Amino acid sequence: MTHWFAIVMGASLFTLMIPVIYRIWVGPTGFDRILGVNVIGTKTAVLLVIIGTVFDRVEMFVDFAIAYALLNFVAAIVISRYLNRTISLKEMEAREQKTSGN
Amino acid sequence: MIEESQIPWVLASSSTTAVEATSTGFFPLQWLGVLLGLAGLIFFLGAAVGMVRFPDFYTRMHAAGKGDTLSTMLMLSGFALVTMEDFSVGSWLILVKIMAVVLFIYLTTPTSSHALMRAAFEDDEMPLTEADLEKSKKRKRRKKK
Amino acid sequence: MKWISLVPVLAVGGLLLFAAKDFPEWGDPQSPASSSPVSSHFINNTGVDTEVPNMVTAVLADYRGFDTMFETVVVFIAGVAVIAILKGSGRRRGGLRKDHEVEAEPDLIVTNTVRLVVPVIQIFAFYVLAHGHVSPGGGFQGGVVMGASFILLALAWDLDHALVRMSLPKCIIIAAAGIILYGGIGFLSMLLGGEFLDYAELEKVLPVSREMARYHAMLGVEIGVGFTVTSIMFALYANLSSEGRLKGGL
Repeated sequence: MTHWFAIVMGASLFTLMIPVIYRIWVGPTGFDRILGVNVIGTKTAVLLVIIGTVFDRVEMFVDFAIAYALLNFVAAIVISRYLNRTISLKEMEAREQKTSGN
Repeated sequence: MIEESQIPWVLASSSTTAVEATSTGFFPLQWLGVLLGLAGLIFFLGAAVGMVRFPDFYTRMHAAGKGDTLSTMLMLSGFALVTMEDFSVGSWLILVKIMAVVLFIYLTTPTSSHALMRAAFEDDEMPLTEADLEKSKKRKRRKKK
Repeated sequence: MKWISLVPVLAVGGLLLFAAKDFPEWGDPQSPASSSPVSSHFINNTGVDTEVPNMVTAVLADYRGFDTMFETVVVFIAGVAVIAILKGSGRRRGGLRKDHEVEAEPDLIVTNTVRLVVPVIQIFAFYVLAHGHVSPGGGFQGGVVMGASFILLALAWDLDHALVRMSLPKCIIIAAAGIILYGGIGFLSMLLGGEFLDYAELEKVLPVSREMARYHAMLGVEIGVGFTVTSIMFALYANLSSEGRLKGGL
């Protein structure tokens, strides 16, 4: 029963990730894409616990989940601090077009 | 050639006995875990729909930030309860570890949402105003005509 | 034109998915990988020889300890090479900041969360390092998590704030100390009459049996690896993010 619950939860989690992946694919701005990646990264921690339940090795996979949540946080902070310390994305694109146009 | 009995710690899950032992139905505490997990799925559904349907970045951030944090916390605590089959030391350890993940996500996901929001705001990513909405409504009306 | 590349990607992906059908069952004792004489030797003997439940750690740090030692040296050399190439290159190009960088204050919420989270991350790093004997983990993984905590400090405030705690000379000293710890355990077992990295000989100085001597020596070796990986991770980040200027930067 526990296994079936875990499998159903994992499958529905994957199904619900499709709209988020759509947002990463389409995302009008770069921030939308980063946000989508961040959401999927958080959900991967849950997926790792689900995989652990399916394999009956939760005590092992929970460690992976902690490490993954941690690295996801670091990644989000990296990207947001980088964008904070640089000029805006639109301006960067404009400059790139100027240099490539010449 | 190795017999299965010689390697007890690798094959905990591939033996069928473990599966049969757990397939006897749920205890009341596990039902609570199932309910928490389903509630988490509902909240994640809200977050996913919001991420697709909302018009600008800040509203999408609102949907994703809140729905994602709460649904992750609910699902993880649901699994913490579901894996409590017997009240042995091992299952208590798993519960404490999963609660550590929940606490970590409770602290970090809102922070990363905030950092991303601030980065977007300082990059002059403008929120949608009422004037923009009026414009898009007019465009739609023109299309209909 | 970009879409044409999708065709081979999908074809190869489909082929790999098709081939994945032929994989042996998860943890199948009859699969080729587990029925070869080498792996059956390790599976039968690691628990007896070293009392380490996690075979991967036993193989990594004991049976092929020589290999792992030079993997650590490779990490060290990579870090030293990056430092040697980048050091001083920023000063020659002049200017503290590139033209797309702007001034930014440290964010209050981010810094406060990082203040709360960094000690937890470091304790988790020690847990991963020390728990590598019974669960996945070990020196490399623990070192990476530890290095991530220092990188988080540098991100939330700025690079100077983290360099006060972990300056570049300190990084190199700690990285070298990790390798010396690893090689030192190897030489100690040589001095005590065994071969290089033959940890069982350490029973003469440790008050434990031969098996437990290997167990504890493996922990010492993992700590050495953790030292090197932690400091090289941070040194790489500090140099690459600021292009060797060690100021400003990301």
